[in-house]
Amino acid sequence: MAELKLDELIGFGQRAVNVAIKKGASEAEAFLSRISGTSVNIERGQIVKSTKRTDQGLGIRAIYKKAVGFAYTNMLTRKNMEDTAVKAFKSAKASKPDENWIGLPSPRKASETKNTYDKQLTAISSDELVETASVMLNAAEGYDKRVLPIGGGVGTILASSAVVNSHGVEAYDEGTGIECSTETMAREAGEVTPVCFELNAERVYKIDPKWVGREAARQAISALKAKKIDSGTFPIIFTQQAFHSLLYYTLINAVKADYIQRERSALKGKIGEEIASNLVTVHDDGLLEGGLQTWKFDGEGVPSQKTLVVEKGILRHFLYNSYTANKIGVKSTGNAFRGGLAPYTSTPVLEATNFTFTQGNKSPENLINEIDDGLIVYNLQGAHSSNPESGEFSVVATPAWKIEKGSIAYAVKGAMLAGTIFDVLKSVSALGNNTRKIGRLVAPWIRIENVKVIGS
Amino acid sequence: MKDDLVKTVDYGRKLGADYVEIRTQRLFKTLLTTKDGRVEAAKEGTENGAGVRVLAKGAWGFVSLGKLDPKLLLEAVGEAFKLAKAASLETKTPVKLVETKTVEDKVVTKPRKDPREVPIEEKIDAALTMDKTIFNYDRRIKSCTIDYLDLTETNYFINSDGTYIQQDKLYVWSRIFSSAREANVFTSGREEIGSTSGFEVFDVETPEKVGTMIAKRIINQLKAKAPKGGTFPAVIDTNVVGVFIHEALGHLVEADLTLSGSVLSDKLGKKIASEAVTVYDDGTVEGAFGSFKYDDEGVPTQKTLLIKKGELVGLMHNRETAHKFNAEPTGNARAEDFRLEPIIRMRNTYLAPGNSTLEELIEDIDFGYYLKSFRGGQANLDGTFQVGIQEAYEIVKGQLGVPVRNASISGNTLETLHKVDAVGRDFKLWSGRCGKGQIAFICDGGSPIRVSEVIIGGGA
Repeated sequence: MAELKLDELIGFGQRAVNVAIKKGASEAEAFLSRISGTSVNIERGQIVKSTKRTDQGLGIRAIYKKAVGFAYTNMLTRKNMEDTAVKAFKSAKASKPDENWIGLPSPRKASETKNTYDKQLTAISSDELVETASVMLNAAEGYDKRVLPIGGGVGTILASSAVVNSHGVEAYDEGTGIECSTETMAREAGEVTPVCFELNAERVYKIDPKWVGREAARQAISALKAKKIDSGTFPIIFTQQAFHSLLYYTLINAVKADYIQRERSALKGKIGEEIASNLVTVHDDGLLEGGLQTWKFDGEGVPSQKTLVVEKGILRHFLYNSYTANKIGVKSTGNAFRGGLAPYTSTPVLEATNFTFTQGNKSPENLINEIDDGLIVYNLQGAHSSNPESGEFSVVATPAWKIEKGSIAYAVKGAMLAGTIFDVLKSVSALGNNTRKIGRLVAPWIRIENVKVIGS
Repeated sequence: MKDDLVKTVDYGRKLGADYVEIRTQRLFKTLLTTKDGRVEAAKEGTENGAGVRVLAKGAWGFVSLGKLDPKLLLEAVGEAFKLAKAASLETKTPVKLVETKTVEDKVVTKPRKDPREVPIEEKIDAALTMDKTIFNYDRRIKSCTIDYLDLTETNYFINSDGTYIQQDKLYVWSRIFSSAREANVFTSGREEIGSTSGFEVFDVETPEKVGTMIAKRIINQLKAKAPKGGTFPAVIDTNVVGVFIHEALGHLVEADLTLSGSVLSDKLGKKIASEAVTVYDDGTVEGAFGSFKYDDEGVPTQKTLLIKKGELVGLMHNRETAHKFNAEPTGNARAEDFRLEPIIRMRNTYLAPGNSTLEELIEDIDFGYYLKSFRGGQANLDGTFQVGIQEAYEIVKGQLGVPVRNASISGNTLETLHKVDAVGRDFKLWSGRCGKGQIAFICDGGSPIRVSEVIIGGGA
């Protein structure tokens, strides 16, 4: 299938912008994206499916008297693109002005990224992906007969995008990614474990499917013979998956300028104040080498950057897109995001990039050894039902294990954790040295003191 | 169109595929987001594309492309065949499909108010009226985000068994999210409206009615207290029953997950709930958000009985799982759009009515909780469920007491379903969206229940 090249994407974008301006738009922006991906899926212990997707499209923002209109299409003929630009303009005309609208971004010095593109991944065959999935599957099944690898797979992605606007912004980037994952359950004598999940996602072709399969299997076997526990207050180690799901619906929202400006964040007015233990330093690093969310520019063409969010417990900076930055006269931090399978279908939203915790110096074993009576939590259920404003959460820890006298004692079932994210941040007492990239989080294992656990 | 599709299917069969299926789509969308009374952007979009699925040598190959071009469709079938062959190298148990009756049909929508004919100004007005209603309710309201979507689809489905269906679809949806603050207390609430009938849904769920309901909820929550953590009796109203039935039971009886070894995998024909519990997944409810005539494998939808008086009697199937269970397909195979392959999804899932009034459910409880509205829910295949609650009240000596905020309930599906000791007579379906790697439009709900105990996760 014909692939659009850099010049063509930019050329299409410019034409669309010109049409909107000629119609009467005061400003216009074209966003073009193309995504293709191949994957091989595991279902119930076997490989039964392989898929391939390609899609490309154009989204246009047109501004008229401070009102914003948007239109998109994936039918990239010349006429369709022009029609889409006209539609965007008409939508702006039909909409209502926003007094806070200042403007689309102007050109800035471009940012450079490292290890976000690997040519090998653009030419990988489905046979090779089947082989990789098979290695992972065998590693899981070979670990123990009681394990069923119920899902997972291997997938690659090639994505390119371009942003062009009427102020002269002209940006283009392309990147690759590969991910392998395994979901497991174990069953024994009528007992069923919760789903255990392990993955390895990278931007370049450097993954370890054997480890993923084996580790997912290890967790499932270890989750057997789970016991209920009594309520109490415990120190807890959160692994990256658990911490990611907790932060994504709480802290990551609380540092977005949109939440601050709309009084939806408990961090409003707290720049310079201590909001976390002094062990906590967090950057939103849009330029992290090989980061899963690393791109040269954001969804409106602003160069990506590394933003200090929390420094030794002190809140330093919020995350901005152009709109929220313009509103208070500061610079966008490059956090306008367009994502999903078809990024051209949406206008940008404010989102974190690689939300990176500076790691500590304790090995994972060390973190466990130092706990006399506590829990280690690998995942959370229900984190999305946290209160995004107050940071209050009430979730099930699953899978999770009890730690007694410095070692993992047994799996725990049905334990709920309750608290607020801000108390959690203040109670960070140690960070591991085992940083991993999971979704938007880059962090090691983290130990939190005094978490309220509701047993049954 | 049909000739090209027939030719493409024939080509796949000639290559050696056992089954070929093509879905093509044209989608038209209008989207809006308003934040605190300002329109963030008024949006319109058109997309087309095709999803091509091939079964060969016992494995699936699926190719999606964002284009509709006869030549590319032929290439896609060839590609899907190759993918299936590659996957089949490691397939131990070949995939087989249950036989179904072939269908030729054309389904058109007949909205009273076709969203394509409603000017965008009117859609903006509906959202802004809702916004104004909410902000005017109380000065402690701090934010209001409203999303609006209408989606009209023209779909063609063809497969190598001889089924050919043209099916138009129509969805109107809105989500309202609002928050309030007083000193250091933050509260928030959300609500969704969804319909497959037309823009007329806003004549029933008027912006004023929905806006007032949300505003009242989050203002009441400002003076709410944190729940006690522990095990208590509870009355669970229709909205929370819906998400409980959907999450804690529904996903476990989607046959693909049942086969994966969910806690219900060996429970078909067995008692898994108290006698009071009867549950359906029903794709035939007129105008409901989870209704449609044919699923994305060309199988007619139906009203599927899942639990009959406590006994697990049915699962939700696609053609693959129906073959495995030697059952009839139930019409539950759905794909979000042409980019994704059909998988087993719920439609309108509900708990059937009993005969108690809400007062009767509450009056015998000495101390417990009344759970009125949910914020989100999630379940695990081992039966552990969690539902976050955005509106709840204490029950004290048979009466409703003070509001409670940020509660959540948890437990194990099998234990909790056995503890349902009474079912109310009210009945309501709530529109929502379910995520299982893809988004599906669904309803859930039914009638209120009383459970003798459930774990209440306390606030901080």
